Amino acid sequence: MMRRRLKILEYAISSLWRRRYKNLAIIVVFALTISILGSILLLTQSLRFEATEILKDAPDVVVQRLTAGRQDLVPIELAESIAEIPGVGKVTPRIWGYYFDVISGANYTLMGIDESTRPDMELLEGTLPTAAATCAIGAGVGRSRGVGLGDELILVDSRNVGVAFEVVGLFRSESEILTNDLVVFRDRDLIQFFNFPPGFATDISVQVYNKNEVETVASKIKRDHPETRPITRSEILRTYAAVFNWRSGMSLIVFFAALIAFCILAWDKATGISAEEKREIGILKAVGWETSDVLELKFWEGLVISITSFLIGLIVAFVHVFFFGASFLAPILRGWSVLFPHFRLLPHIDLYQLFVMGFLTVVPYIASTVIPSWKAAITDPEEVIRS
Amino acid sequence: MNGGSSAMILTEGVTKVYNPRRPDEVVAVAGVSLHIGGGEAVALVGPSGSGKTSLLSLIGCMSRPTSGRVVVDGRDVAKLSEGVLTGVRRRYFGFIFQQYYLIPDLSAVENVLLPLYPTGMRFSEMDGRAGEALARLGMAHARHRKVRQLSGGEQQRVAVARALVNDPPIVVADEPTAHLDRKRSEELLDQLQELGRSGKTVIIATHDPLVYEHRLIDRVVSIRDGRVENGHAS
Amino acid sequence: MIVKKHVLFLILTTIEITVLLGLVVQFKSESRRKTTALIPQERAIVRTLELTDLALWTEARYTRHPSQADFFAPFQDGPSSFDLFPAGSVVPAPRWLAAREASDP
Repeated sequence: MMRRRLKILEYAISSLWRRRYKNLAIIVVFALTISILGSILLLTQSLRFEATEILKDAPDVVVQRLTAGRQDLVPIELAESIAEIPGVGKVTPRIWGYYFDVISGANYTLMGIDESTRPDMELLEGTLPTAAATCAIGAGVGRSRGVGLGDELILVDSRNVGVAFEVVGLFRSESEILTNDLVVFRDRDLIQFFNFPPGFATDISVQVYNKNEVETVASKIKRDHPETRPITRSEILRTYAAVFNWRSGMSLIVFFAALIAFCILAWDKATGISAEEKREIGILKAVGWETSDVLELKFWEGLVISITSFLIGLIVAFVHVFFFGASFLAPILRGWSVLFPHFRLLPHIDLYQLFVMGFLTVVPYIASTVIPSWKAAITDPEEVIRS
Repeated sequence: MNGGSSAMILTEGVTKVYNPRRPDEVVAVAGVSLHIGGGEAVALVGPSGSGKTSLLSLIGCMSRPTSGRVVVDGRDVAKLSEGVLTGVRRRYFGFIFQQYYLIPDLSAVENVLLPLYPTGMRFSEMDGRAGEALARLGMAHARHRKVRQLSGGEQQRVAVARALVNDPPIVVADEPTAHLDRKRSEELLDQLQELGRSGKTVIIATHDPLVYEHRLIDRVVSIRDGRVENGHAS
Repeated sequence: MIVKKHVLFLILTTIEITVLLGLVVQFKSESRRKTTALIPQERAIVRTLELTDLALWTEARYTRHPSQADFFAPFQDGPSSFDLFPAGSVVPAPRWLAAREASDP
């Protein structure tokens, strides 16, 4: 039985090799499609894992304020009011905003911190800003402006005056995914830079002692201050779970396009086999091949192509994403972003998803090889040859 | 399978209708009853369109009759499942087609190997048998040449080798001399005579007098309009 | 001796599967290693700076801080501005927003 199987497999491969240029082209295109799909899958799996891991330490609640349906600055006395809610710990007005740098054409995120903050951060070369006119920058900012530790970074403030900041801290490139576009200042310096009206902040971060109470606290904040918009950490995490979920976001778009391409291929194959192939099936049947032998032959033909393409495509995807940091995908993903982090991904592999992808590509391809041959395979050889 | 045993073929009122109940319906074989004994060499003779090829297909289990019985070595093939019928075809018959029906992109030996793939035989044994079959027909030197590179006569010999590779007790040939010159035709008939002498049953559909008047033929059966006109010993 | 094609195919497939499994194993162990080293360091940054988003798409506010954006965010930039590709396509408005809007009094 096994011997017979191997014989038919041998004939299948010989048959494919006879039309080798066409079949090699199919393998190349098929493998390329798999490698793109696989790259997206692996990239999104890894990003999702990393995002949901590191953002676990995001603030418990961030409170924004809305005016006339738009995000507005939040008065600092709101922080005092929130601090009185039972269960609430530290409440911090946050100063941060965006800055468009004309020189590099990039958008930076400017963040303010309390100058007494002296954490031990291994991913920071140097220190966080503690003195006036100092800053810490992300690797992307440094690259875009050609500045490093000890250099001066000149930014134009809200009064259109150039202000020089000494770079005392540089975030290492391993943290680019978090810090690429950041410029960190002392709160006071940033307030002055943005010309914040006194008594206002961008938003407020709220610490809740009992993590099970976060939703309750957020509801209370909303109820007491209807003009606010509290955002909890679980909502932050869910956002990233959705962006990198393979059923939505970037995965869905690419997957959908690939699926359509696949359906076109399968339809083209399924609408009929060539006269030459039909004849060949007739000859095989005439010399003693059963229907099941012929169908097995077609099965092997489909499997050889699809499994080879799938494995090669997947290997390419792995190497592309984890060795080369998805460098082919990055230019497409970045869109208009001038600053885009170099991916130094934390490999995270969901074997189930890869298996599903394999199933959804290999099985339809085999079906589109076997099914068109069905009619010829079940017909009496004389009729096939005559037609 | 011993080619000398009496593999007998019997047809009883066998009919073959193509495209039944359609405007282009054709009755190719109309109620033919025939008996062919083991080791006999029979020529089915008739003009083009007389139904002899269709009758040959029915006898060779290449198609099923619309009605009637075809019995091969005691088994009514019309009733057999497709798998069993294929097995019967593979075991009993070696078919030489008028158009040869070789796969042009395969080599001579690869074409001869075709009937052996589903048998589960070892590769070495398969290669051995195919080589022998080709050698018997003087084609050993061309075993690796693609069929499309062979002459008509050489292709004919490859087709015969393929038909014989399974050592079938019944050899069926459809217009075997259609594309051959006289010399090659006589060579082929000599080969078929050899097969007949070794005990194989030979059935040839032809309208070539060179064939049906050859000494190898034991009996001539005339077919016209799908019916047997008369059968006589040659 | 000519090697049969099916043997070559089976060997090639075995090599491919082995390479793939090798990559999976290698990356999983690399991941485990990096997770214990890198993740806590990145979390320290998030904690200290109170970050809420990854610094991926810096084209617009709602792509840079998708977790903080609301339905109006793209319009706030400019009601007739073109959608940003691919960020605008791949960063959906958070689904929980719709649920929140529905449940708010």
